[in-house]
Amino acid sequence: MSRFLVLTLNGLTQGAIYAAMALALVMIWRATRIINFAQGAMAMFTTYLALFAVDHGAPYWAGFVVALSSGLLLGAIVERVIVRPVETAPPLNVVILTLGLLLFLEALAPMAFGGQIRSFPPAFSIVGLHLGNSQVAFSPFDAFTLGSVLAVMVLLLLLFQKTNLGLRMRASAFNPEVSRLLGIRVGRMLTLGWALASLVGALAGVLIAPSLLLYPTFMDQVLVFGFTGAVLGGLDSAVGAVVGGLLIGFALSFVGGYLGSDLETVGALVILIAVLMVRPRGLFSLQRLRQV
Amino acid sequence: MLEVTDLTVAYGTVVALHGISLTVADSSITAVLGANGAGKTTLVRTISGLTRPRGGSVRLDGRDITRLAPEEIARLGVAHVPQGQGVLAELTVDENLRLGGLWRRDPKGQRGALAEAYELFPPLASRRHLAAFSLSGGERQMLSVGRALVARPRMLLLDEPSLGLARRALIQIMARIKTLVAERGLAVLLIEQNAKSALSVADDAMVLHLGKVVAQGRAHQLLSEEGLRHAYLGF
Repeated sequence: MSRFLVLTLNGLTQGAIYAAMALALVMIWRATRIINFAQGAMAMFTTYLALFAVDHGAPYWAGFVVALSSGLLLGAIVERVIVRPVETAPPLNVVILTLGLLLFLEALAPMAFGGQIRSFPPAFSIVGLHLGNSQVAFSPFDAFTLGSVLAVMVLLLLLFQKTNLGLRMRASAFNPEVSRLLGIRVGRMLTLGWALASLVGALAGVLIAPSLLLYPTFMDQVLVFGFTGAVLGGLDSAVGAVVGGLLIGFALSFVGGYLGSDLETVGALVILIAVLMVRPRGLFSLQRLRQV
Repeated sequence: MLEVTDLTVAYGTVVALHGISLTVADSSITAVLGANGAGKTTLVRTISGLTRPRGGSVRLDGRDITRLAPEEIARLGVAHVPQGQGVLAELTVDENLRLGGLWRRDPKGQRGALAEAYELFPPLASRRHLAAFSLSGGERQMLSVGRALVARPRMLLLDEPSLGLARRALIQIMARIKTLVAERGLAVLLIEQNAKSALSVADDAMVLHLGKVVAQGRAHQLLSEEGLRHAYLGF
């Protein structure tokens, strides 16, 4: 199998995870104009909870459900307990609080779960599939990763575009004051938005843990790559986040494969700087339309 | 019936409303007139819960709503059409209209209300699936008013509906509102800078000047007070 194809498939799987992270960041950015720097650490924590369940004899799928549901809950708690009290403060205050939460969770995790590096089980085999006589660099777990990210995205799209709840959530994000005049309980919509974003982040956590190994800072670089993808996509656009995340996945896979894996993080930095210099609005931003 | 009693609102040390009292009976239109900065918008924002008063009370049908959150006041049937920027520009015309009455959880009734709104404002019907930012100023105003009517409110707070609206469209909107006032007992608080047109549709009126009431009474009486008209209403 050609090296190019191997790197492309690898980039697709990694990109799906960065896309999920980017989407989580964009969902919160759109609703509150806050970059949640604790998004990665929250996903780390929920992944540890999943491992904790598996360690105590629960099957993988129970752990998977633990990760997603604790993600949902953690997002709601963070919004209610940390974000809500400073709702009216300048956004920078909240951003600094999310940095504090990042440090807190990364300090709490080794206390709660031990500081050593752990392996995390995959849902399916990570050995490449056989196609005829040749083996391809695409495993059943890769397929599961792609499929579950895709499923969550389709579900979110349906929620936001096809349901009244989604309509309320979008209205609350665009204009909280007018939304309240229309009888929308904006506070609840915000809590739900944080919960859903955190769920998407938690999904990214359990999906990438088998290949990264689990330790308290293991999601930091996923956050950085996801953030780069979100900026590339324009921060304002969910579609942009997904496309941006996938592009980052491909780009980093090619950088790692052709130039050396030490350069992946530098590659993300180069992309981030290039986007901010050439097209600071990102590929899909609504900003220009909003100003009309 | 809306009863505002001794309402005082301040932004920091600047007092925007000094002990305002006013009653809007069911099946009636009350106009609040005055120049820019008179406190008209502050008054409606306080009634709908967006601004917290320093003192006084707001009662709706006898129930104290002074400290209720805006979304809860809206759910009691108070529809506030804010000045200017009321539409959700990123959403489509249809989504904007639907949002008006979602809290009623009455899909059937809402479909009817939606159809009525489109009938009342044909320009909106032809732009149903376009984002609201593509609308003209007048169309946005129609959308704002239409969306408030979709909620089938019992109390309507209109903050300068004439802004950006062609005269013909304004007359049409006011005609529709007068029908609702007569047929469904709707109570309307109408904020206007254009005193002449407001007084021609209102039953009662009040003139604000720098946060104080300078005149209050039946609309036709205020119309006939020449001194008042010259001093505060500019016609």
